[in-house]
Amino acid sequence: MSKLGQVVESVDKYNRFVLDQVKHARTDREFGRDLLGRWNDIKAKIPITRTPTGIPLPRLALPEIDEPGEIARYLFGEGLPGEFPYLNGVYREMYLEPIREIESLEKNGHAQNGKSAKKIAPAEEPTRLFSGLMLAEDTNERFHFLTAHQRTHRLSTAFDGVTLYGLDSDADGVFGKIGEGGVAIDTVEDMIRLYDGFDLGSPNFSASMTISGPAPIIMAMYIAAAKRRFGPSVLPKLRGTIQADIFKEVQAQNETIFPIEPSLRFLTDMVEFTTREMPRWYPISISGYHIGEAGSTPVQQAAYTLSNGFAYAEMFAARGIPVDQFGPRLSFFLDCGLDAEYIALARVSRRIWAIGMRDVFGAGPKAQLYKLHIQTSGRSLIAAEFKNNLTRTAAELVLAYMNATNSCHSNSADEPFTTPSEEWIRLAAHGQAILLEESGMFKHTMNMLSGSPGMKAVERAVEAAILDEFREIERLGGVLAAVEERYQRSQIQNAAHRYEQQIYDGTRTIIALNKYRNDGDDIPEVKLVRTPRKKQQLQVDRLTKFKKKNAGKSERALDKLAANVESGKNCFPALLDAVEVCSLGQITGRLQEVVGRFRPMV
Amino acid sequence: MASPIRILTAVPICDGHDSAINTINLEFIRHGIEVIYLGYHRSVGDIVRAAIQEDVRAIGISSYNGGHIEFFAEVVGHLRKRGANDIKVFGGGGGTITHEDAVAMKRKGVDNIFFAGTSLEEMTDYVRKHYGRPRAKRSRPKSPDQELAHKLTAIEDAYARGRRPTSNVQRVTLSKKVRDSSKRRVIGFTGPGGAGKTTLIDELVLRFLNQNSKGRIAILSHDPSVIGEGALLGDRATMINSQNDRVFMRSMATRGQAGGLSPATHHCLALLARSGFDYVVIETVGTGQEAMPFQKNGIVSQTVLVMNPDYGSRLQLQKIAMLDLADVVVVNKSDLQRARTAHTEIEQRLEQNRRNQRLIDTVAKRHRDPGVDELFELISPSEL
Repeated sequence: MSKLGQVVESVDKYNRFVLDQVKHARTDREFGRDLLGRWNDIKAKIPITRTPTGIPLPRLALPEIDEPGEIARYLFGEGLPGEFPYLNGVYREMYLEPIREIESLEKNGHAQNGKSAKKIAPAEEPTRLFSGLMLAEDTNERFHFLTAHQRTHRLSTAFDGVTLYGLDSDADGVFGKIGEGGVAIDTVEDMIRLYDGFDLGSPNFSASMTISGPAPIIMAMYIAAAKRRFGPSVLPKLRGTIQADIFKEVQAQNETIFPIEPSLRFLTDMVEFTTREMPRWYPISISGYHIGEAGSTPVQQAAYTLSNGFAYAEMFAARGIPVDQFGPRLSFFLDCGLDAEYIALARVSRRIWAIGMRDVFGAGPKAQLYKLHIQTSGRSLIAAEFKNNLTRTAAELVLAYMNATNSCHSNSADEPFTTPSEEWIRLAAHGQAILLEESGMFKHTMNMLSGSPGMKAVERAVEAAILDEFREIERLGGVLAAVEERYQRSQIQNAAHRYEQQIYDGTRTIIALNKYRNDGDDIPEVKLVRTPRKKQQLQVDRLTKFKKKNAGKSERALDKLAANVESGKNCFPALLDAVEVCSLGQITGRLQEVVGRFRPMV
Repeated sequence: MASPIRILTAVPICDGHDSAINTINLEFIRHGIEVIYLGYHRSVGDIVRAAIQEDVRAIGISSYNGGHIEFFAEVVGHLRKRGANDIKVFGGGGGTITHEDAVAMKRKGVDNIFFAGTSLEEMTDYVRKHYGRPRAKRSRPKSPDQELAHKLTAIEDAYARGRRPTSNVQRVTLSKKVRDSSKRRVIGFTGPGGAGKTTLIDELVLRFLNQNSKGRIAILSHDPSVIGEGALLGDRATMINSQNDRVFMRSMATRGQAGGLSPATHHCLALLARSGFDYVVIETVGTGQEAMPFQKNGIVSQTVLVMNPDYGSRLQLQKIAMLDLADVVVVNKSDLQRARTAHTEIEQRLEQNRRNQRLIDTVAKRHRDPGVDELFELISPSEL
């Protein structure tokens, strides 16, 4: 049995444990009394906040129960925010605004004066906007624009297709794609330009890089760039995330450049290095987003993301990396669309992850957390009457925050047309600010919208369906075997086909597309951001110069890298040396000579 | 009956968005079109080379990652440069291609761009209307590959009309001498579907290209189809090493013939065999137990049966005709648990024949697999 099978058993076992505790609380009077006492303690300690209109609210809302069995069901089955099994959130307060006035319940509404109010350090804004366009300096400018009014600088980087496939900008036939849909990065010098003006070692800075196939090479470039700017001591201070999710690439997104096994080996090399040397870095973002965007159902998305995560954990553990070293450095990324499952998809995922990590992998508390970034669904946005996309995204944001996501990206309404323009990006960012800072939905009280009967119903249905998917994958021999048999890929394609069929036959309503259609109204043209030819040429010229400058050294570095790969040692240190004098494409090319190219699955 | 329309579809380089094209491919096939699918992340060179070798009527490109104006224009430009003006180009990219872009693209020679919201019927109708008419008289081919491709089309068309190929095509019929000299290098691959024939051939091609800096290889690959209906000819999508100027590949639909090959195969193979390639490889569709696809052929010099370790009970082996005939039997996917048993059982089965047939275990999906190396040695001309 792979670890996934054991995860299924551990969740089943945990659910039986919860039921036992419920029964026990009802039959054992002493246990019941203890629970009730604990419950009353918890409630008494909840701070009270005041809304701007003056009503007092608890900073944590709990169900109104006083029967020991129900208390047991809540505390063991869901857990308080920040407590196992983390259904309600991985942290106690997530993005509540700093406390205005604190009162205890006993004081009953009498506001205390300023100095006794406990100050809580403001949390990081959960808003993280994805951006990348043209050349490094253009994206850099966009980053400065986006973070101009933010306390913390959380950058999220999109790369152009050329970079995502590990090619150089001077590769055959890619010229028109340079800087399209993301930023063009060929060398460590581009990487320096990309984050220029930001303090990479600051606790208020973090960089996210959305790239998987060549992720270890790009990671090495980021480290090299940081070292060149801030010296080698910056390494342990670097904060950020690199996607590096090979499984989802093979299952859904098709940006794989090496065969699966060497891809996983390069990933493990990187994880081994970063979790040791860069304890604040997230070297993998286990991503359901692209699975969702490729057309999966929400349950498939959650199930494949979790099972991929457990497969990675199994792999890293097999390498000998301690679970409490790598576990806290895993992060997750989900899509949030408009289907009902999204009300609780991340909540259920968090719970299954915590149970599996604790009970199957022996992880400590920090390695049990399903730390999550959500992006609203790009696929749910359509070109026809595209301004409706603002409403779609707003509804998805509410769902995302109901799931207590750790961070979130809201899509721009103009996304169906390619790289979003500043006008619509601003509206997307403001959408989040309105929800979190202007509205009272998420800033006063944890659990504001959690725990409704509908949400509970969705949780039960989704959990059962996810475990069923796990059983099927286990039956096929585990995640890697299922991937090689194209199981996930076929399931996703099937679901995508069904979705299109439903739109076509009208059983799935898409406003302005198959219902309330404004006939005769053509699809509006929005102003597109395109990379000018001159810039594309500049990128090629820069690369040529870099290659010329390092011509004497690059071959040697590549030979050393290749020898390292052949030897089976961790090749990440050799990669760190190689990026100093080699371009992305040169490194990809050499690695492919050694380990082969990815053979597409069709 | 006229030949089905043949078109090639692909997604451009650095673009992995294949969900639209997958849906469109299926729709085309349903409407009687033969689709050669090249896959995603494909360069202009790969697309144009494949289109010329396959001699398709048109190329459909589905682009979602930007740079489409340049990419489409480059495809048209390369086609013209190589004298393939009669291969048309169309495509789409949802919302990423604007009306303004489309105007620019059409100016550069693209036939048509489909926008977001275009129905599948509309696309199919367009292809049938614009690329379904019989070809005008063909212009002089500009390269030997193009000439070969035109001749293969003529053979296929003649068979589709139920006639023997005429005039210049007839001349392809070989004298005994040519046949003997070509005998050394025509290798037939057959075996059940899913055994990994395509991957195995592609790995052999890689070895050939690496070992031999000038040589050329031809591949005749087959996928099943019913008379008058479409087919998905998808081998190229996974044959990453075979997309190379030194590889001439042609994908054929069986057009209703049972047994793993097309009615036109014999003639096509004969033509390829005398066209100066160092190797000619022919791959059948996934075959059943009774199939003996190369039996009447006379051109194939060496036959390779590729088996999957999961063939069922031992008794099943007695029924597989090719086990008696194949020169080499390959158990692919030999990393599977059942593979050792399979090897032993097949070995015993081959011993009954007393023909000195070779049995090789391979894991074709693995880079530099020693089993594939061994197979390559075995089929190298110098070894014969």
